[in-house]
Amino acid sequence: MTTILETQEVVVRFGVLQAVSKASIKVETGQVTGLIGPNGAGKTTCFNVITGLQEATSGKVMFDGKDITNKSPFKRARMGISRTFQKLEVFGSLSARENILVAAEQRRAWDKSGFDPKTVCDEILESTGLTDVSEFMVGTLPTGTARLVELARALASDPKVLLLDEPSSGLNEEETEGMASLLRRLVAKGLAVLLVEHDMSFVMGTCEYIHVLDFGSIIATGTPLEIQANPHVQAAYLGAETVEEAS
Amino acid sequence: MRIKFNAKFISAIVVGVILAFVINKNWGAASFLSTKNLSTFLVVGVALGGIYAITAGGLVVTYATTGIFNFAHAAIGCFLAFVYWQLSVQFHIPTLLAMAITLLVIAPAIGFLLDKVLMRRLRDASLVVQLMATVGLMLTFMGITLTVWTPKKARTLDHFFEHTKGVQLGSVIATWHRIITVVIALLVAVALRWLLYRTRLGISMRAVVDSRSLAGLTGAKPSIISGSSWALGCMTAGLAGILIAPETGLVVENLALIIIVAAAAAAIAQLKSIPMAFVGGLIIGLATSFSSTFLQFGTDWSYAGEAIPCVILFIALLFLPQARLETGKVRLTKRTERLTKPWEAGLGGLSMVLIVGLWANGWIPWFSGTNWGERSTVWLGRGAGFLVFGLIMLSLIPLIGWAGQVSFANYAIAGIGAVLFSHFGGQNGNPIGIVFVVLVCAPLGLAIALPALRLKGLYLALATMAFAEFTDKVLIRHPSMLDPSNSGVLYKPLRILGITISTDAADRKAFLMFLVVMFALLFFMLELLRRSRWARRWIAISDSPAAAATIGINLTTSKMAVFMLSGAMAGFAGCMLGLQTGALRVDSFPMFAGLPIVLLLAVQGVRYPVAAFMGALGLASFPAISEVFGNPSWLTQLALIGPGIAAIAMAYRPEGAVFYSGRDLAGLLPWRNDAREEKALFTAKERSENIQKDEINDMGLSRPFSEDKVAQLDRVLSITDAVDETKMVNTGGQS
Ligand SMILES: Nc1ncnc2c1ncn2[C@@H]1O[C@H](COP(=O)(O)OP(=O)(O)OP(=O)(O)O)[C@@H](O)[C@H]1O
Ligand SMILES: [Mg+2]
Repeated sequence: MTTILETQEVVVRFGVLQAVSKASIKVETGQVTGLIGPNGAGKTTCFNVITGLQEATSGKVMFDGKDITNKSPFKRARMGISRTFQKLEVFGSLSARENILVAAEQRRAWDKSGFDPKTVCDEILESTGLTDVSEFMVGTLPTGTARLVELARALASDPKVLLLDEPSSGLNEEETEGMASLLRRLVAKGLAVLLVEHDMSFVMGTCEYIHVLDFGSIIATGTPLEIQANPHVQAAYLGAETVEEAS
Repeated sequence: MRIKFNAKFISAIVVGVILAFVINKNWGAASFLSTKNLSTFLVVGVALGGIYAITAGGLVVTYATTGIFNFAHAAIGCFLAFVYWQLSVQFHIPTLLAMAITLLVIAPAIGFLLDKVLMRRLRDASLVVQLMATVGLMLTFMGITLTVWTPKKARTLDHFFEHTKGVQLGSVIATWHRIITVVIALLVAVALRWLLYRTRLGISMRAVVDSRSLAGLTGAKPSIISGSSWALGCMTAGLAGILIAPETGLVVENLALIIIVAAAAAAIAQLKSIPMAFVGGLIIGLATSFSSTFLQFGTDWSYAGEAIPCVILFIALLFLPQARLETGKVRLTKRTERLTKPWEAGLGGLSMVLIVGLWANGWIPWFSGTNWGERSTVWLGRGAGFLVFGLIMLSLIPLIGWAGQVSFANYAIAGIGAVLFSHFGGQNGNPIGIVFVVLVCAPLGLAIALPALRLKGLYLALATMAFAEFTDKVLIRHPSMLDPSNSGVLYKPLRILGITISTDAADRKAFLMFLVVMFALLFFMLELLRRSRWARRWIAISDSPAAAATIGINLTTSKMAVFMLSGAMAGFAGCMLGLQTGALRVDSFPMFAGLPIVLLLAVQGVRYPVAAFMGALGLASFPAISEVFGNPSWLTQLALIGPGIAAIAMAYRPEGAVFYSGRDLAGLLPWRNDAREEKALFTAKERSENIQKDEINDMGLSRPFSEDKVAQLDRVLSITDAVDETKMVNTGGQS
């Protein structure tokens, strides 16, 4: 198992607010790495730094042994980093099929293996169970299905690392279980997954390794069992829950 | 970081060198060191700058507090200046009272009304709809002003204290009007600052743009807050209009064009800093005065002075920071449409040819013999004109409809294309010239967009509007482009595919048919293009730029491609425009003339190629309607007001007429259950949204606000420019 993606002491500041403070995260191939933390901990901001949507104030992002800190988002995508978004970022006026097709076609810009985007698209539609809705505009689909479209689109770029930001939100229990088994199949094929998720049973059931973020800092790392036993983590979550109840 | 700095540094040097060259080349007789010249320059510049500052400050306030850039800002100011003229000159109401009625009663009333019927609906609309509706509002106000106060009669507004001498400043006299202007500008600056930072209403106004719940905390009703923003905007616009009218004369086009000045100053202010908007206004005033005092543009460039705001806008765009790729702003609309199949598109194209063919041959009996668009040689000529505009609309479909890049420059590009074609090929009837023009206009379309590609979409719209103005005032008026003394026909008859194209009455029908066939072909090509990977990519970057980048799409090159395509198509339309009009005059391509084309396309539905055909019919309908009524004077401005009001209506029906009528027509087909269901769903959704909006408006929280709440607002809205490092809150828990 090798480290494919790594952030080194990443700091992100928004004006006076320090959203991420010296966060170092490692993602290994062939396993699901979890990134958890209370609301506003900076998880999404970390994703944005890794994919290049957010410039880091300081720190480095390493991918496949190369420093990609100053690369633009589309170049990182072409190197093999793909993601989904916490709030839907689908192409709403394209059909589900076109959403995936546009990613598959784009892949030809860097993947010269001579694949046929249409075939790839059909395969992915099949494997994510979207074939039936493939001709509908994504804007008309229910949120859960649109999330699947987003995941399918991310897969169409054939990434080395897949970043998923709360994939289970908007899904029912059955769909969540489907998502978990899909993730297991993907990592078995050698993909690396970094998962941000609030559903703890989902996280504990799928992740091999977990980073815990609180107020922008990594407060714990380890296996699910170690994390569950960690007092800092319990404090952070308890604290967060009391805050939530109060508001 | 270093690279970005260097790019800006190099741009600064290039801009500096070009400016130095232009100034040096056009230096007039006036000596720079004479105190008289210097003080004239300063007095005129500061006074003009003060007026510009007022209007720019108002524009930025409304943008910062409502999130809507109001293209109608200057047109409203123009309308109010005319109202003031009516009161003070026609009705002999004393100056101060007339001003009070105009600025404290009528202007706020317009503001609150606009907020209620239009702006509140635009807040959550897409950028395209926001732009179209406010540009529509601009044309409507211009049209109303021109209808009420017909331009046949010259009107003047006196300067304040017109017949007094003023104050001796060095060797120049500063008139009281100018002194008052500067004082008012200063007062407005202080008042705005005080209002926005020291009063509860102002703080709520600043809060409402980002978060309505945050605004609720400050204790004001959202409807009052946004209404006040618009009232304030209208008041500043009116004040600027009244102050500047004595200098420029009460001419609608001139007063409405101040929007370019305000936009340039707003760009300097990055659309958010009110002090910088004032600085921007001052810079433009000084630059204008500098040029009128010291520079003497040769006859070749006689209008260059008027293009100064455009140039300043372009320069400002070069130095703006790159826009972030934002997430979480995706708007999902329920549209159960499907891709048009090639055979359907082919059928559509054939129908267009058929409809125009039947009409041109007088085979639609209903039309013949009435003055309802009767087929006469006049109308055959006009019909060709509308189809040419339809071609320009087609050129906008991939650009605006698919890639989401709003451009107001395509009519100007077509103008340049028409002029170029008169030089290359048109003069000797050589169709190869068309190919040449298309090849030139493609990179031209790209060049216009280049400075704005890395910025927010709004800046692109501003840049293209400024380019259209620049084209009209500078590019086309140069004698090597259009010789002003040559008013004759610039194009020889052109023979293509066995038909003769000329403006001759006898050739008009053939030309019309040629045009509609070309139109149908381009329509068909666009429909095919929509099914290709190019269109998919453009729609992707428009629907979600962030997601598009994260699947590996290079946003810059994709946008460049669509600008080239659009420019090429506009160039082709330009050649047709030249052939259709035959003769071109230097004032054939004013910036405002291009706007109805864009608006009517958007009203029809900018995503759908068929909308270009409907839009051309829409343009044709205005003179036709006017003719039905016997061309009365109150309909003279229908070609402005019609598209204007139609575009305003987009706030209510954003997807375009083609979409809604398509859905409704589909609902009539017995087998289209999906269309009926969708319509029912849409109506229900709209009703529940309206209920929600009312609830939000009734949310009158009345908690007081504290100092740190204000500080937090400032931070969230990034209104204050400097960040106080000492107050840095480090939320990084353990670190
Ligand atoms: N563009 C931005 N400008 C200013 N502040 C921001 C921006 N983006 C995020 N923040 C702030 O940074 C902090 C971290 O936000 P982030 O979205 O990364 O948290 P998160 O861990 O993903 O939370 P959640 O579980 O709610 O999704 C928050 O306080 C948020 O308000
Ligand atoms: Mg998040």
